[in-house]
Amino acid sequence: MSTPAATADVAVSAARSSGALRRAGSFVKTFGPPVLVFMLFIGLWSLLATTVYGDRNYLLPRPWDVASAAWESRGELWAATKITFVEAAAGFGCAIVIGMAFAVLMSQAKVLERSLYPYAVMLQTVPIVAVAPVIVLWFGYNQRSVIVIAFMIAVFPILNNTLLGLLSTDRNHLDLFRMHDAGRFVQFLKLRLPNAIPNVFAGLRVSAGLSVIGAIVGEFIIGSGGSEGGLGVKVIYAQGKLDTNLLFAEVFAATLLGFLFFVVVSYVGNLLLSSWHESALRQDV
Amino acid sequence: MRGVSKVFPNGTAALTPTDLRIGAGQFVSIVGPSGCGKSTLLRIIAGLVPASTGECSMPSGSRRAFVFQDATLLPWRTVRKNAQLLLELEGFDKHERDARIAEALKLVSLDGFEKAYPRALSGGMKMRLSLARALALRPKVFLMDEPFSALDEITREVLQDELLRIWALENFTALFVTHNLYEAVYLSSRVIVMSARPGRVVADIEVSLPYPRTPELRQTPEFNEISAKVSAALRGGAVS
Repeated sequence: MSTPAATADVAVSAARSSGALRRAGSFVKTFGPPVLVFMLFIGLWSLLATTVYGDRNYLLPRPWDVASAAWESRGELWAATKITFVEAAAGFGCAIVIGMAFAVLMSQAKVLERSLYPYAVMLQTVPIVAVAPVIVLWFGYNQRSVIVIAFMIAVFPILNNTLLGLLSTDRNHLDLFRMHDAGRFVQFLKLRLPNAIPNVFAGLRVSAGLSVIGAIVGEFIIGSGGSEGGLGVKVIYAQGKLDTNLLFAEVFAATLLGFLFFVVVSYVGNLLLSSWHESALRQDV
Repeated sequence: MRGVSKVFPNGTAALTPTDLRIGAGQFVSIVGPSGCGKSTLLRIIAGLVPASTGECSMPSGSRRAFVFQDATLLPWRTVRKNAQLLLELEGFDKHERDARIAEALKLVSLDGFEKAYPRALSGGMKMRLSLARALALRPKVFLMDEPFSALDEITREVLQDELLRIWALENFTALFVTHNLYEAVYLSSRVIVMSARPGRVVADIEVSLPYPRTPELRQTPEFNEISAKVSAALRGGAVS
């Protein structure tokens, strides 16, 4: 027997399931396209690895062989990834602190910007692979050198973007602050700094991935000299043994690590900017 | 308030020596083509630009507020926090701030939007908030640099009426820069006409229409007559 209450119940559950459906729909909309691309990529790879390179899998291993190699040496892979993670995170952290500090310094006076900026650019343009041996000479065959190299690669985008953000304050805003007797510090805290946050995160997103690359390059240089081996060291070993399966697995691990850095930074950025900045605008608003 | 001669040669003479005397509580518009130095004049009065010669004086303790052509809101602050900005900079205590913000937001009919961010506001609402931010200071001198020029016609007329209503309530001296002569005539008790190259005052026209003014005023012969006078002064200035 259908009482009004029961009808209402049905209506509620229908609404609930349609809500769940809509949520599932938005999930598919968000993650569907990249997953589809991933499947296409794996499909194409499998096809190539079984046909053209079918007899030369040392050049292009089959995806499932890579997966099983990764699974077999998961302990080693995990340990190496952790080492690289620590090095990249330390380099990234130093790049954030030092890069932003110098950006703040350079934003304070045109003369400071002019005197320091060229050298910041050079830090970026110096071929890191060429200068890495010098760094190892100074800091030794250890993780410290790796961190320094990761720092060197990651610092410029942070410095550059933060500086850009700090300097791109609207003239009328500055006039407004000036007219009401705001000092330099207040102006910096309430105007320049919040205004620069979108730019800061643009720099951080670039540097996040770069710091992992820097760590890998650093490990390449210190090689087996380091007592513990990160992913860069493992890559060299795998290459030496012509173990392409493992090599691919390590490259994927490094890629995922960089991706993780990027995602974390993006997430924090969106959290900070979602309420007001266009770059983090949510669709439903 | 007493404005004295001001020159602003910045390579070019943006404003030739100008004498100006504005009575307290007047609503004065400065109208002229772009490049006539009307904004420069306003910025000198605001203290944003130093005058190269002459000086600008006003009774001591008369607080100035400036409203820009765009709303110049801080996008990372809510409506409430934006309205609070100048009070913060001027060092008002929290209790005083809260009372003034509530009053200012009510004046511009933005009460109820305190928690919204500027990007959720329409162009008209942004300008209302910009006005509220300035009004919260309870200025004696209210300087406006083409505040409504970026708005659509309908919103602009609504805001003109609101501004007149607030002016009648708050009793400040209003100095309103615009390139729209009808806007100038509708709002002001006095229209100062300026001309470019070099920037100078070419006419000072009394608008003897009574307040409060209503939109119907725009269709009256008196309004048209004064507008024609301002228009003629503008053209005369452009020719010479």
